[in-house]
Amino acid sequence: MKKQVLTFKVNGLSHDAIVTPNMTLSELLREELGLTGAKESCGVGECGACTVLVEGKPVLSCSALAIAARDKEILTIEGLAASVGKKPGELHPIQQAFVDYGAIQCGFCSPGMILMAKALLDENPGPTREEVQEGLGGNLCRCTGYVKIVDAVLAAADVLRKEAGT
Amino acid sequence: MSHMSASKLPPFEYYEPATVEQASKLLDNHGDEARVLAGGIDLIPRMRAGTVKVTQVVSLQRVNGLDYMRRSTAGGIDFGAMTTLHALERWEDLRVGFGALYDAIHQITSVQAKCMGTAVGNLCVATPASDVAPALAAYDAGILVAGPKGERRVPLPEFYPAYGCTALGPGEIVTGVEVPAIPKGHGAAFLNLVRTHADIAKVTVTAAVVIADGLCKQARIALGAVAPTMFSAEMAEALLEGEEMTHELIRAAAAAAARETRPIDDLRSTAEYRRATTEVLVARALHKAAGRARVSAANWGADRGPSGEGVTR
Ligand SMILES: Cc1cc2nc3c(=O)[nH]c(=O)nc-3n(C[C@H](O)[C@H](O)[C@H](O)COP(=O)(O)OP(=O)(O)OC[C@H]3O[C@@H](n4cnc5c(N)ncnc54)[C@H](O)[C@@H]3O)c2cc1C
Ligand code: FES
Ligand code: FES
Repeated sequence: MKKQVLTFKVNGLSHDAIVTPNMTLSELLREELGLTGAKESCGVGECGACTVLVEGKPVLSCSALAIAARDKEILTIEGLAASVGKKPGELHPIQQAFVDYGAIQCGFCSPGMILMAKALLDENPGPTREEVQEGLGGNLCRCTGYVKIVDAVLAAADVLRKEAGT
Repeated sequence: MSHMSASKLPPFEYYEPATVEQASKLLDNHGDEARVLAGGIDLIPRMRAGTVKVTQVVSLQRVNGLDYMRRSTAGGIDFGAMTTLHALERWEDLRVGFGALYDAIHQITSVQAKCMGTAVGNLCVATPASDVAPALAAYDAGILVAGPKGERRVPLPEFYPAYGCTALGPGEIVTGVEVPAIPKGHGAAFLNLVRTHADIAKVTVTAAVVIADGLCKQARIALGAVAPTMFSAEMAEALLEGEEMTHELIRAAAAAAARETRPIDDLRSTAEYRRATTEVLVARALHKAAGRARVSAANWGADRGPSGEGVTR
């Protein structure tokens, strides 16, 4: 099995990493690049905790190969705020809404939830409550009961639409 | 899949061929040691759990010409092996014209699984519990296959010769799916029975009928999760064809379909329950499909598109 040095574009920066074909994207992010925001929970594609965005699309990093993501734009929770021009320490509007609405308890599901919410709002900036519930259908939360998460995403949608002037 | 534990992926060689011929050659050379990788949402967890053991992984991600969706000249829809479930779900032509197929895809809860997973990957997993396979079968879909001996088209029920198996021979891959045009008076309905929406179906049904001059001209009843493979309930279909779709006849056809099942007992349901609920679901799906078929017959040629399904939804 070949070891290769490959270049990954993560959160707007290029990283070189030594990769073997059997490395998952979550192993690359967490173990090679030290980006532990994406959580690995079920490891089999069922919980959404490991969600990151690849070329803007939500990807379960536990079930994706790192090698297949080379040369693609990867966004993790660590880079979300900066991706909309926030300074270090500031939050993205979706993150801020999660804080404001108490949508975070243990926090294990939050990075995946927030990135999935971003993918949803990028595609559909004005979702109904039902569309938010459907959009987050692949993300499990064992703490909040989901209501506050859905409230937060709807509130973030309002903020983002106002910022975009639409 | 929840019983799988997540461990490190075993080592393998990884290929990203640029053409179908190269992919097919790699598969042919490595035989049982090789697997195709599409979205990976099924294959990677299985490799991590050790339930699929291969040393060669042939990714289709860079093969040209496998990611397409288009209306065929005849008015059907065609899509490629790398077309994701998410892309299909968002395709207006599919939603409006092929509503039961849309419903089968839309009810999959995980958006991530739909963004990564391909419809063809769903078919190639060859689980009898796929919701997508019966939906495509009820629309008479054909599977396009390419391999060392050239290209062929396999009608859907025949794509599954036995439990967990596909009709693919050595070195063969699926390149796409063709769904023929829908005739006047066509209606279809998808229904499944699940413990929770995130779980695998206990029973999954798509029924499609063509009604003309008050009679059922064609019936398709495709069933999943109630036999070793997805199958068409041919005796039930034969009861309906040529007849008026009365309540009594639909009830008789649903009972016939239930008799054609070969269900198992497992942690989701008993065989008896699966058979009993098949009868209920088939009857409901036939009623819905017949209602939509009548709307289609009445509205045909109006500017609302070729199928009644989009109109009644
Ligand atoms: C959380 C979750 C929920 C789900 N819910 C549902 C549901 O409600 N209903 C339902 O029907 N399904 C459901 N699925 C299943 C899902 O649709 C499939 O796992 C997925 O579509 C597989 O596609 P893939 O591209 O990821 O395939 P891969 O994992 O890449 O491949 C799967 C198998 O098919 C083979 N293969 C793939 N493409 C080809 C090809 N072109 N030629 C030959 N062989 C090929 C591979 O070798 C492998 O054996 C769910 C999955 C998840 C993770
Ligand atoms: S850890 Fe990837 S889906 Fe659960
Ligand atoms: S906050 Fe604990 S899992 Fe969601």
